[in-house]
Amino acid sequence: MIAIAIFIVGLSVAIVYYFRSTVVLGPQQTVKTSNLKIGVHTRLTDEVEPWKIKHSLEMVREMGAPWIVEYFPWGYMEPKPGQYNWTHADLVIDHANRQGLTVIARMGFVPEWARPKGTTDLYLDQEHFQDFGRFVAQFASRYAGKIKYIIIWNEPNLGLEWGYQPVAPAKYVTMLRMVYPLVKAANPQIQILAGALAPTLAPPGSEAGMNDLDYLQTMYADGAARYFDILAVHAYGWHSEPDEPAAKDVVNFRRTELLRAIMVANGDSQKSVMITEAGWNDHPRWTRAVLPSQRIAYTIRAYEIAQKEWPWVTTVCFWAFRYPWDAKSYQDYFTFVRTDFEPKPIYLEVQRYAQAPAK
Amino acid sequence: MSKGQVIKHKWILLACGLVVMIVLGIGFWGVDKIFPTEDRTWQTMQANGVWRIGTDPSFPPFEQLDANGQPEGYDIDLARQIAAQWGLKIEIVSIGFDSLLDALQAGKIDSVISALPYDERLTQNVSYSAPYFEAGIRLAVRQASPITSVEQLTALKSAPKVAVEWGSTGDMVGRRLQRATPAIQLIQFSTPEEAVNALVQDQTMTALLVDQVTLRQMQGKGLPLKPIGPVLESNPYVIAMPHKASILQAQVAQTLLNLQASASLTKLENRWFDK
Repeated sequence: MIAIAIFIVGLSVAIVYYFRSTVVLGPQQTVKTSNLKIGVHTRLTDEVEPWKIKHSLEMVREMGAPWIVEYFPWGYMEPKPGQYNWTHADLVIDHANRQGLTVIARMGFVPEWARPKGTTDLYLDQEHFQDFGRFVAQFASRYAGKIKYIIIWNEPNLGLEWGYQPVAPAKYVTMLRMVYPLVKAANPQIQILAGALAPTLAPPGSEAGMNDLDYLQTMYADGAARYFDILAVHAYGWHSEPDEPAAKDVVNFRRTELLRAIMVANGDSQKSVMITEAGWNDHPRWTRAVLPSQRIAYTIRAYEIAQKEWPWVTTVCFWAFRYPWDAKSYQDYFTFVRTDFEPKPIYLEVQRYAQAPAK
Repeated sequence: MSKGQVIKHKWILLACGLVVMIVLGIGFWGVDKIFPTEDRTWQTMQANGVWRIGTDPSFPPFEQLDANGQPEGYDIDLARQIAAQWGLKIEIVSIGFDSLLDALQAGKIDSVISALPYDERLTQNVSYSAPYFEAGIRLAVRQASPITSVEQLTALKSAPKVAVEWGSTGDMVGRRLQRATPAIQLIQFSTPEEAVNALVQDQTMTALLVDQVTLRQMQGKGLPLKPIGPVLESNPYVIAMPHKASILQAQVAQTLLNLQASASLTKLENRWFDK
């Protein structure tokens, strides 16, 4: 029995080592692009095969995008208090760096040990903010020199993303206040991104969420400015073209300008903005979708706007580069590359735009 | 240990092994197959005399609302014809497209008929019928064109011009063909209608890559187009049913075969596309 057990363990180690070792990092690459603000949100969290991680990131580089946003779930990486598993994060970050990509790390996803039973993995009580901060600090320390940008939480203005607790900007600011100094102490080079608010026109008192403009203003009123370095913005276009003017009662790409105005009004104009989610969808039946031809034109125009009109925007990262598997819903029509890596026309058109000489 | 005791132990081990194999066999093969459960969906349908169909009536000509706000279309007629063969009526439940399968799994409806593409990943809780309509990408030419296959098109020495809707799946398939045959010129248009009209009106345009729904709609309007060759990117529409509704699944399979054999599916297609 002992011999069989040793054989099975040995075989498992050999298989793991084989698959790890057969995907070499390869030579250092650089991104060739006419627009240094092009970015995409990759979805490598559940991509288990190293060659697919590498190939996804190669294709991002070949498209001409120097930036990626990637999700690093706390619950995957610290399954028990103080026990870390960095294997997957190492793969993603090492391959991204080798492809010449700058990684913006999105942090969230609460492990079971840090939340009450029956809650979702997006539920985090104030008593565990310190644990979250310690984890992010560990992450920042481990990837010093490899990661410079970290987003604290995702869309905290939505009930769903706030673990179905009442949405509370003050509580999010408390989270920032506790996490920020821990991360800075671990790695002073890290730039903390806050916000990443969902663009929404939810009415006051809605259980679904809180208007992103109101939420950001409340964050400032609660003293958030001292606890983040860059504002993360989500800028979906839905039906609208990217040049449609911003308005408080409209969700469109230029809503970003309203969020920027709130930053300026609160004396925070020296900080930059990173658009960490954005995009149009070309599903033939989804009510918020546009035509495929519009999606291409709008996407390229959005990158142009960031480059030519918005000096305060560092990058626009479109949702989503590729999924590990088909969602078989409208979500599939946000992607640039199919799950089998076949490039969609939008990928090839952005690539053509990025390869054209800068105007 | 005596010889008798050794034999006794062997029998016990053998019996234990058999028990383990049976348990594993049930696990692998499926409890349902060894101890078939009754089809409660079918029983309820029979008891109520009604087949509850979930559909999103926003995709003509498969499903839409008529002037009185009632659902109509290819899928509604298909459901009605199938139900008629079972002596049942249909009840149409309007549900958003992305919530249809959730409603099915929650038992709010008995089946989904809503131009629903087959999903090879969602087969644990949902079972699908055989395809009743192929909506995938086809190569189409003018009715009078001598070209009869994709191979003929790609073998042309005159750099054939192929119209596509920019950014669509047809465009993606076109770029795939272009990688294999660089001589193909893809001519991109902002809408599928513009691409179709270009093929009809511009004699220098050789072919068109378009989904079968658009193609049939354009044929229905009298445009002289014909598909050639096989489907180049499949997108079959199927009926979704609860995984445990084994009798319903068998009944749907047989009835679809009957409708196919009697050319009823073709008549249905003609009725809704050739309006």
